[in-house]
Amino acid sequence: MSTEKIEFDALVVGGGIAGLQAALDLADQDFKVAIVEKDASIGGKMIRLSKVFPTLDCASCITTPKMSAAAHHPNVTSFTYCELQTLKKTGGEITARVTQKPRFVDEIKCIGCRQCEYNCPVYVPDEEQGGFAARKAIYIPFSNAIPQVALMDVENCTLCGKCAKVCPTQAVDYFQKPRDFTLTAKTVVIATGFELTPLRDKQQYGYGEIENVITALQMERLLAPHGPYNRVIRPSDGMEPDSIAFIQCAGSRDKSMGVSYCSRVCCMYAIKQAMLLSGAVPMADIAIYYMDIRAFGKGYEQFFQNAKAMGVEFIKGKVATIDPGENGTVKLQYEVQGAQGGVTTAEHDLVVLSLGMVAGWNPENACSVGTGSDAFIKTIQPKIAPTLTDMEGVFVAGVAAGPKDIVDTIVEAGAAAMEASNYLTRLTRKLAA
Amino acid sequence: MADDNKDKKATSEQKVGVYVCHCGGNISDHVAVEEVCKNAEKIPGVVKVQNDVFMCSDPGQELIMEDIKNGTVDRVVVASCAPDLHSSTFRNAIQRAGGNPYIYEHANIREQVSWVHHGDQATNKATRLVAAAAAKARELQPLEPFKVDAKRHVTVIGGGIAGLKSALDLARKGLDVALIDKSPFLGGWTAKWDRAFPTDDPVSELVTALAGEVLNSEKITVYTCSRITAFEGFIGNFKLTLTQAPPESDAYEDEIKRLSDSGKGFGEFVPLAGICPAGIPETTTTHDIETGAIVLATGFLPYAPRYGEYRYGESKEVITLPELIRIMAENRQKGVGDTLEINDRKIRSVAMIHCVGSRQIPGIHEPDAKGNLNEYCSRTCCSATLHAASMIRNNHPKTRVFDFYRDIRTYGRGQEELYEEASDSKVVFFRFEADAPPEVTRNTGSGDFPLNIKVKDTLTFDEELEMPVDLVVLAVGMEPGNISDLVEMMKLPVGVDGFLQEVHPKLRPVEIAQSGVLLAGTCQAPFDMGETCSAASGAAAKASAILGKGYVELDPFVAEVDLNKCLGTGTCVNACIVEGALSLVEMDVDGEKVKRAQVNPALCTGCGACVAVCPENAINVKGWTLKQYEDMVDMIVSDRILPSQTA
Amino acid sequence: MALQENQAKILILATEDCAYPGANAVGQAHMSYPENTYVLRVRAPVMFPEHFYLDCFKKGIYGIIIMSCGVECPYEGAYQALAARVDKVYAMMREEGLDPRRLRLTGVCTVCTKAFVKEVNQMNQLISELGPPGAESKKAA
Repeated sequence: MSTEKIEFDALVVGGGIAGLQAALDLADQDFKVAIVEKDASIGGKMIRLSKVFPTLDCASCITTPKMSAAAHHPNVTSFTYCELQTLKKTGGEITARVTQKPRFVDEIKCIGCRQCEYNCPVYVPDEEQGGFAARKAIYIPFSNAIPQVALMDVENCTLCGKCAKVCPTQAVDYFQKPRDFTLTAKTVVIATGFELTPLRDKQQYGYGEIENVITALQMERLLAPHGPYNRVIRPSDGMEPDSIAFIQCAGSRDKSMGVSYCSRVCCMYAIKQAMLLSGAVPMADIAIYYMDIRAFGKGYEQFFQNAKAMGVEFIKGKVATIDPGENGTVKLQYEVQGAQGGVTTAEHDLVVLSLGMVAGWNPENACSVGTGSDAFIKTIQPKIAPTLTDMEGVFVAGVAAGPKDIVDTIVEAGAAAMEASNYLTRLTRKLAA
Repeated sequence: MADDNKDKKATSEQKVGVYVCHCGGNISDHVAVEEVCKNAEKIPGVVKVQNDVFMCSDPGQELIMEDIKNGTVDRVVVASCAPDLHSSTFRNAIQRAGGNPYIYEHANIREQVSWVHHGDQATNKATRLVAAAAAKARELQPLEPFKVDAKRHVTVIGGGIAGLKSALDLARKGLDVALIDKSPFLGGWTAKWDRAFPTDDPVSELVTALAGEVLNSEKITVYTCSRITAFEGFIGNFKLTLTQAPPESDAYEDEIKRLSDSGKGFGEFVPLAGICPAGIPETTTTHDIETGAIVLATGFLPYAPRYGEYRYGESKEVITLPELIRIMAENRQKGVGDTLEINDRKIRSVAMIHCVGSRQIPGIHEPDAKGNLNEYCSRTCCSATLHAASMIRNNHPKTRVFDFYRDIRTYGRGQEELYEEASDSKVVFFRFEADAPPEVTRNTGSGDFPLNIKVKDTLTFDEELEMPVDLVVLAVGMEPGNISDLVEMMKLPVGVDGFLQEVHPKLRPVEIAQSGVLLAGTCQAPFDMGETCSAASGAAAKASAILGKGYVELDPFVAEVDLNKCLGTGTCVNACIVEGALSLVEMDVDGEKVKRAQVNPALCTGCGACVAVCPENAINVKGWTLKQYEDMVDMIVSDRILPSQTA
Repeated sequence: MALQENQAKILILATEDCAYPGANAVGQAHMSYPENTYVLRVRAPVMFPEHFYLDCFKKGIYGIIIMSCGVECPYEGAYQALAARVDKVYAMMREEGLDPRRLRLTGVCTVCTKAFVKEVNQMNQLISELGPPGAESKKAA
């Protein structure tokens, strides 16, 4: 097995908005930075969103410039579709073992022309579009992906050979193998982000069984300007919903799901989606079932009050069960707080689960960085140096250190870059002395 | 100047090379590349036309580099995919061949032609786009990124934790720092709390950790009792005047008393006051500082309840949360009993009310004397209140706590646990709507409680509940600090909420429109301590990226005045959207003193607002001139390259 | 009758931060639109004086769409100045007997593919009704 060794000043684990910002802030201070990203494109979760609160500007318009700045920065090298295996520290040097997963497409030869994609006969539900649209078995992950390099989904490929035939650069390689390589750096920023709370343990929310119950990330795709249908319809029958409900704290502040903490973003994204929906389906009634509305960031409370003024209904109550109703409707049972009290039921055409965040990466088998009881990376001085982990020279940014919205994530990424930069400066001085 | 003119006249002799990419069929399947190339030879100024299957490949780039090296071409047009994908590739290739990267122009014939149009029409459109790009290329001038020397020095205004953290980060990075605070103390509001939520860290340790290192750093000069009294300059080269003066008689009285009572020396932490680094000046002195960047860490002020708001001021039994925190901290030094005591008065029950001075709603809440409403959430008060509530319940089990809230916003790591702890320790919660806040009245009924609190509780079906209490604590929010002098002097942008306004919350969260001036912490919005320190480090990261090299490299795409045309009308100066980027200056032209427009490239953003208004077209943005656009339009409508068909 | 590339031309001034990438997104999605459209990349359309637009019509451009970043404009204050100028151009167009709808100011974001195509189609519809610049005043006369 061939292993190469490549040297950098800093390694950023994760190429989402936190990782990109940290990498750019380090690169701008003239450090050589490597980004290791597990997905086939940098951009993380943010590039998948429609519009972002509280400014309602389009997520892509904010993320793409940072993606492209990182891609073109002379001090930044991105390694996409790569898994970090281990991080080992010896003296002042940190060695990362990385495995690049096979794309079955030569990333140097591929020019991103998509001929393979157009000619592939296989259709697979596209997870980038919430499963609502189809993609091919060989495809560019999404329109503004960086790099614009195709990858093959071998699970679904029928080996028909069409893609290899039409590729103008002979980039398709059915025999590509995982490639191991080693990176060295002096400091590391962990920016591994999050996944949505899995619902497998929450049968009362009926996930997977009730067709018109979707996740908030799926709603993002329905609302995105380049989304799957170009309008908001419910999955079961393509009907434009007349009544839409959001269920808050679905997977947060809920010990039965193992997630006792608040995920910080769900109130705001639900309010944002509700506002976007009142533009997309102006006749629909929109209700948000909540425990507490946590609109705490700059301009957020005003955003919440605007939504209220626009007619979005806020119902304080914890939804207990979700069941399929007649003709594709969804039945909710919830405990009312307020005037009459008691347990009430309601029916909606479409129900959105405002899922929370769980840690995106567990460092347990890779390095000695510790985690908190919430499974996010532990920080040792949360009040005055919030990005310090318990492994010297390793810093953390964004949701990897606990749920956070985009604004807080970007600021924290700048902070992690500063701490890492100072660590590098200190190290150089020590070596010089 | 004479030489300049010669350069400009040479325009018509520029040698343009056109390089058309097939993109492996992506372009050539829909656009007849050979035909585009044949037509391109007819474009004025074009001396060479080449094509390649992949222009971006090494052999493709070689074609361009060869032609530059041997002097065949000195302007380059590549017709290929969208410019953001490969323009840096081609600019680098030109540079490697010894050319200036700005002599390059792009024709987008993939995303905007072959992928959206088909057949002859696609070929014709591609030809016209190439012709337009060539016309623009003829007018391109070699440009150099604009460099200004920058002082490797940063001024941090505000000595709270945001200022301390920023100063420390910058000093560690090797930059010189002036840290300024208007008070005699470092530590800001943090020093006036007791323990930080939810970690329970004593603030004395937090402030000492930061301020200790600041005071020991050779890189940081601390100026207390100081204010900025004059400001000028721009990124890399600001000039500040600092006035250091004894505080006005009643200012910081409490803190100064705590310092002298504590018996602590300079540089030591004094509880509820902070760290006084060097005493109090007796005379007024001024200092001039030349600095490359400025970090604003001017912080916040706790909301001061109005007289009568929840009986505040009318009843001595109504206090604010910061006041309670201070009392409890002092009590702890004396030792605690099983009932909370305030001024020897036993507090059997306390009501804590959230959202005082925060989340105000037009039509429901009354604006202040200036007509302002604090519509924002102050972010920290829920957790601070619950932290204090649990502390009361844990230390004084005989004091009951009633908590009146609108929404509990314990969003941060470890904060939901605070909420839980408060519930577990039997804090009783009541929830009210914004339009039906709890009512505090004098208790005339049962017992010897001084106050009564009444609320319509939405947790228990809107039931009206009333209870007598010994103390009411108002969880006051944050208000912007009083920095109107700085706002006016430095022309700082203030948002509708009164806090300083960043350029964009996600793209440039710690920057303001004025380059080189950065925001750190609660001068921007309410934050807790950790968030404040993150923002402070983020601002430091930006400042060190700006000043790290000792010079600031600015975009060359700035406005440029053609002194041969400028008549000094000043129209451009009025149209300019950036204060100071354009001005009229007196200069000598042919022995006559005249006024002419002058661009400050350090401030110009290159938007072109000036270009549109100049009656002489004497001002243009380098690389994007009006003439270039006019020439492009001419090529688009021209029938010279493509004969127009009779429809 | 479909308008062809070499006949009625539409000029699109697209901001490099928003609308120009938006036009590229249309290409990436392989959506089709008429060929008579010429997208010029601009930093901020505020740079064009009133006469630029009138000259374009004189040169034979049938319609102009300014695709800006709207209020998300990265140059603070530029959008307001642009909007004010466009109003002036409308008045001048009326004086010259040009239908002001031939010039349109709109916002297009980096992924606003449908908005882009809609704008192009609407302008095409309009100019196929109006004919060449100046024809409207002859019709009226």
